[in-house]
Amino acid sequence: MRALVIEDEDTVAQDVAQALGSAGFVVDIAHEGEDAWYKGSVEDYDVAVLDLGLPRIDGLSVLKRWRAAQRIFPVLILSARNDWTEKVAGIEAGADDYLGKPFEMGELIARVRGLVRRAAGRASSTIEVGPLLLDTHRMSATYAGRPIRLSQLEFRFLDYLAHQSGRAVSAGELAEHLYGADEPGDSNAIEALVVRLRRKIGPQVIETRRGFGYLLAGDG
Amino acid sequence: MPRSLRVRLLLGAAIAIFLALAAAWVAMTLLFERHIERRIEADLVREGLQLAAALSIAPDGAPALEQQPGDARFFEPASGLYWQVSTPAGIVSSRSLWDQHLPRAGDADSLQWKPRVIDGPFNQPLLVVERFIRPEHAGSDVLIQLGHEQESLDEASEEFGEELAVFLALLWLILAAAAWVQVELGLRPLRHIRDQVATLKRNPRQRMAAAHVAEIEPLTLAINELADARERDLSRARRRAADLAHGLKTPLAALSAQSRRAREAGATDAADGLDRAIGAATSAIEGELARSRAAAIRAAPGGDSTIALPVIESLVGVVEQTEFGARLVFEVNIPDALQVPVASEDLLEIVGALIENAARFARRRVRITGEPSGAGVLIVEDDGPGIGPEKIAEVLLRGGRLDEAGSGHGLGLAIANDLVDATRGEITLLRSELGGLKVIVAWRGDASPADNA
Repeated sequence: MRALVIEDEDTVAQDVAQALGSAGFVVDIAHEGEDAWYKGSVEDYDVAVLDLGLPRIDGLSVLKRWRAAQRIFPVLILSARNDWTEKVAGIEAGADDYLGKPFEMGELIARVRGLVRRAAGRASSTIEVGPLLLDTHRMSATYAGRPIRLSQLEFRFLDYLAHQSGRAVSAGELAEHLYGADEPGDSNAIEALVVRLRRKIGPQVIETRRGFGYLLAGDG
Repeated sequence: MPRSLRVRLLLGAAIAIFLALAAAWVAMTLLFERHIERRIEADLVREGLQLAAALSIAPDGAPALEQQPGDARFFEPASGLYWQVSTPAGIVSSRSLWDQHLPRAGDADSLQWKPRVIDGPFNQPLLVVERFIRPEHAGSDVLIQLGHEQESLDEASEEFGEELAVFLALLWLILAAAAWVQVELGLRPLRHIRDQVATLKRNPRQRMAAAHVAEIEPLTLAINELADARERDLSRARRRAADLAHGLKTPLAALSAQSRRAREAGATDAADGLDRAIGAATSAIEGELARSRAAAIRAAPGGDSTIALPVIESLVGVVEQTEFGARLVFEVNIPDALQVPVASEDLLEIVGALIENAARFARRRVRITGEPSGAGVLIVEDDGPGIGPEKIAEVLLRGGRLDEAGSGHGLGLAIANDLVDATRGEITLLRSELGGLKVIVAWRGDASPADNA
């Protein structure tokens, strides 16, 4: 596992690097934006921890350049600017998570692990159901060529339906898959999720079979 | 001095016009009087020259006329038009003088026609022209006098004066009306400025339109510069607060690294102390940032408006990525066109704090609803455990219990409450039908900037 830590304050950079090292990562450090951009462009990292206030090129620009060049490794932004305007700008620029300074090292490690787990361990494959294309590596989707930003839950929902070869799946079964067998079924949450996805992607993406459940359009 | 500029200008114009017209009246009446007098003097002199031409002196020195002037009034007694020729030896005069005589000349030596006003015969004030002539063969000077009664002149000039007064009074009214129109037109740009300043007061980002009037232009420019300076100060204050936070947070992160090292080296007590200090400093910074943001909102008298849905969708997009948000369904039921009276960056902070808080406690669902009642209502609810009514006041308290352990509704709600209060809204906490907390943010519809002190 390789991680890139970009942080101009050396004490913090060394500390994060050491903690990630203990967690099993091989860590590179960049202290300024240009170096970070270069390293991220030529090396294959599994995750990057990115400070926003950097010399030379600011963190947000580095991130945008990576994403524009199809560098898709997960990025966790670590910034002193902890307001929502900054968070929204960071996520919309392509970051996968955002942590404000000062932070608990335990939380940082947990989040980095979460990001890596989400991205790794999956074959880089795509599933196509009608106009819907799911990218299991990036956990992203396009619908008729239009990119759709999905939450983890939404992706798992679509992924599960996509693997059913046109079978209608009941809300109870979906709840069990999404929330685990020990949790009581919650069809309200599933219904809300369907509403949300239809709104995000298009009203026709998920069909309802009365008495049976849900299936992806074009999969029946 | 009246306070109204309009009344002042109108009064000033009316008085000035009145004084000018009065002076004109006096001058014109005088000129008219002198004009008639000159005409009459000229007539009298002409008659006098005819008298002189017809004059002969008898050997005894008495004057005699070969031919008398023809004007009928010379023959009618007390007609007001007289002539008289006198030498020391005798006097001839017009019949109109009857048995009276014109008094002797004042200036005994004058060989020029001289006018003067005298108390004449028949109790008539007379305008008299007179001169001496010195015929070649005569032994002494001959005095020729002609008189014209003054009364008709006075009457004529009095009549003229009255008519002129009526005309000038009319002229005064017309000029005063013109001055009124001028004042109204002149003050119109000022009224325009007042309206624009009022909108500028409501919305500090607004600027005044360029003035059409050259004299007003410096004023609008100055006001715009003032507004720019005020906005710059405001954003500088915000930036400095954020810079201060940034400046403090990275050292705090470094300090927390030191604390970890201390802990690894076995100095657990020292590390605990450091962590407590770091936690307190972090809370203080977050609280102060929120407070300075709220203060900046209060100082800026509002007038902002933001379409809620895109802001909330982008917030949900962020929270969906977080550890808590990733497993939740977000129901967003907000009309596309719903606007709330808050600047978009402030709406981000308010709703961001509320959604994050809801996501932290939700089991499966977070519902965000918008309603167009009042100036806009946003509702954030979750299906988590909720909070008891006895705790509500406590969590809304500004800078109240801080969310140190990551459990309990804490700083997020307090910050949101502070910001909502600053934007003239109100937060209500209820139990949601989903089971958890229901946070209602309602902005008041009567948001007028004047009483937002």
